Amino acid sequence: MADKPVYEEASIDGQPPKLASIPASDTTVWADASPLLQAACAGLRDGELIHGDNFNLFAAMSALEIMDPKMDSGIVCTYYSIDEAIENGAAPIPISLDSTIDVRCTIDIMDHLLACEAAWHKGHSLAQTVFSCIYLLRLDRTAPHALLHSYCRIIRATCKAVVSVVSDARTHEEEDLFTMTYGLPLNGDGDDKCLSILNAVEETISRQLRACKATSSKRRLPEDLEPLQSNSNLEEGFCKALLCRLRFRKHFFHVLSCMKRPQGRGLESARKHIASCLTELESILESADFLRSCFDESCEGDIDDKTTASGFEPIGFDAMLNSRLSAPTPPRAIKILSWKKAVEYFVKLLHDLDVICSYSLDPHLESLLRFVVQFQKSQPDLVARSHLQLLLVQDGKLYGRDPFFAVINKAAALPEATKNHDIQKNESFLQLGMLVMNLLKILCTNAAWQRRKLGKFLQDWRVIYVQLELAFRNEYGEVSSSSNDENTCMKIFQHILLWVEEQTYWIAFRFLILGFELELYSTGEYCMVYWYLYAVLIKLTEKTHLMMAVSHDTAKRKGKKKKDSSKDLARESRIPPAVLFLQCYICLAEGLTMMLAALRNEIPVFHSPSPFNTEHEKFVQHFELLQRACIPDHVSYPSYKESTTHARFSTLAMYNYFKDAQRIAKEVKSSFSNDPESRLGGRWGRNVPFGWIHFSSYLK
Amino acid sequence: MEAKPEEKAEFEEAEIEYVSYGGEHHLPLIMNLVDQELSEPYSIFTYRYFVYLWPQLSFLAFHKGKCVGTVVCKMGEHRNTFRGYIAMLVVIKPYRGRGIATELVTRSIRMMMESGCEEVTLEAEVTNKGALALYGRLGFIRAKRLFHYYLNGVDAFRLKLLFPPPRQVL
Repeated sequence: MADKPVYEEASIDGQPPKLASIPASDTTVWADASPLLQAACAGLRDGELIHGDNFNLFAAMSALEIMDPKMDSGIVCTYYSIDEAIENGAAPIPISLDSTIDVRCTIDIMDHLLACEAAWHKGHSLAQTVFSCIYLLRLDRTAPHALLHSYCRIIRATCKAVVSVVSDARTHEEEDLFTMTYGLPLNGDGDDKCLSILNAVEETISRQLRACKATSSKRRLPEDLEPLQSNSNLEEGFCKALLCRLRFRKHFFHVLSCMKRPQGRGLESARKHIASCLTELESILESADFLRSCFDESCEGDIDDKTTASGFEPIGFDAMLNSRLSAPTPPRAIKILSWKKAVEYFVKLLHDLDVICSYSLDPHLESLLRFVVQFQKSQPDLVARSHLQLLLVQDGKLYGRDPFFAVINKAAALPEATKNHDIQKNESFLQLGMLVMNLLKILCTNAAWQRRKLGKFLQDWRVIYVQLELAFRNEYGEVSSSSNDENTCMKIFQHILLWVEEQTYWIAFRFLILGFELELYSTGEYCMVYWYLYAVLIKLTEKTHLMMAVSHDTAKRKGKKKKDSSKDLARESRIPPAVLFLQCYICLAEGLTMMLAALRNEIPVFHSPSPFNTEHEKFVQHFELLQRACIPDHVSYPSYKESTTHARFSTLAMYNYFKDAQRIAKEVKSSFSNDPESRLGGRWGRNVPFGWIHFSSYLK
Repeated sequence: MEAKPEEKAEFEEAEIEYVSYGGEHHLPLIMNLVDQELSEPYSIFTYRYFVYLWPQLSFLAFHKGKCVGTVVCKMGEHRNTFRGYIAMLVVIKPYRGRGIATELVTRSIRMMMESGCEEVTLEAEVTNKGALALYGRLGFIRAKRLFHYYLNGVDAFRLKLLFPPPRQVL
């Protein structure tokens, strides 16, 4: 190595220190590269890039830190930091020296925070929404302003609680942004006391409200109580406006706390708080008229777009301050929900939470699945869905209460006694328990993600079936044993194998039906989809029917001592309503397939080939996951073609698919009303697949 | 501000000239079109990434010397499949509805097919009926729905075109 360079002392006129000459060695020679660099600078035009081995074009796309004020001078931001914003009066405390304006501004902040919170719930980052509030970012400095301080504290505690619920539910992909807090100050010392702080403020305002009412009726008022603000005409209106907002926050926080309690113990209390929240939200909406009219100045712009009830812009918010905290990608301007839409959002959220809280924690898996499917139809948002998931799966048990083997035991119509059988320690049965748990979690996610996951899940269910079947054959082969315990084990295997098949086909059915809800099928593809549904339904019906027969056996054995054999006999010979229901679906699916096939075969305009591929490729793509899991077996594009190539309107008329469906539906309806004990509901209930709703006219 | 009525350009389809990306001189044309019509902001490096590495997959449409449409694509190995990807497709408003976009995309897809791609993919907003119809006619299916894919909360479809397996020579 050459000797270390020697620096000359900095010259007096401030020139940078010059490097003394570095001697060249045997293998190195010095050349002045300045002219080369100069030429290169001139040789590069705007937007050109030097290609390096370790810096390629792909990297170049992400190399710029857009939104960093140092690198991107195009940034328009008012303040570089929170402290600068505060120094320049962006978040004054008090907000105004005029107490009336101060109160109104505080209410504006409360309203805007609600709008921000709704925007966050809907999918934007916390940093750009709720934490665009400077008061929230430096909560301690709000201490002199009791109202603002208490409100900010409960907001912070609420956000933290919601983040915790959603994190525990571990939602996926597009919704992961929700839980990223990127170093935002979510943890506050003393936030556990936020309710008592809020209560104190609420109490004061309640007394102020009473006082101003007392004044109007000319009764003596307590001398030591200062009014909320200085304009006595507005005192009542402001007190009321504040009280409903504070109370809403209080009850909402209680809802979250109650729902968090294990095993659904807090659900009933939660419902009461939900009801209170809804009442307070109504009062909040009603306060808008007062808030808009209490000042002479009117606000510009459409009132419906405003993020506050009063229509005024809130003080103390700057979304750009957190530009480096909001997300991995450069943040772009987002639109905060309007105040009206925010209230609507919370009303819906509360209704969704209420549905969850009203659920009876039914230990029957079929009922639970039906409930979840039905719940999802109202398109609940992330916060509601996370709460549902946490209610259903806690500590590896259903509702934190029922071990999954016991749940499966019941679902597979095994006698109660077998739920504690040692066989559950078997690896395959443990895995099956995990699969059921994961199924419940998946069913609580957003429909788009859910469908993708269900498709992949089919493989897992197929594998577990094969594993269980192998274990069964290895243990018992063809031998019919006389040992009691071996008999029990055999029975467990048999029931559960059958149940796993039924469940697998149910998942396949859900996967296909969700495709309609998500609009994944174009109309030209309906024919093959209905055909595949038909194939899946045939198997599902078969397994369900077997399952019912086996379940009836168990019930019979249980109720051996009971008389009433004539009723039993009648019940035995009849097809169970749940199976009839499925048969109705089969008729519909078959009818639709044939009708669409006939349309395609007879009317040229419905058959439009694409230049790059054929129907075969589309079939392969749509049903790849099902085919891979062999659900069902022996179903392929050639068999689809065979079934549909000869469909004609003339042949259609010979069949009565839709009339049959109608007839069966009537039978199901009457049998349900005659026999409420029947296992009709199961997981079907009144679920009519989305894509068939247009179809109901045929049934009338 | 009053909304101007949509002015449609008058032209014969045969007057449209389709050109493969030819070099630096085409880049500002593509950039201007895309900046004008699409909401996603791209830096110049994004464009360069595509047109430098896969110039044969980008096409421009000209009418009497004016650039009226463009398609920008890439292809590569993705999880054991050789896959094409359509990154940007733009036709200026007065020229829409006349098959220019279809022609641009078709040329690119053909090139991908000839280059050995097994499939082609892209994302489109679920509300973009025009794009969904265009790609649907070409054989794309809606493979997945992506929840809240875009910043404005709109979902997207992942569209995929699967090429038939290459014909085996008997």
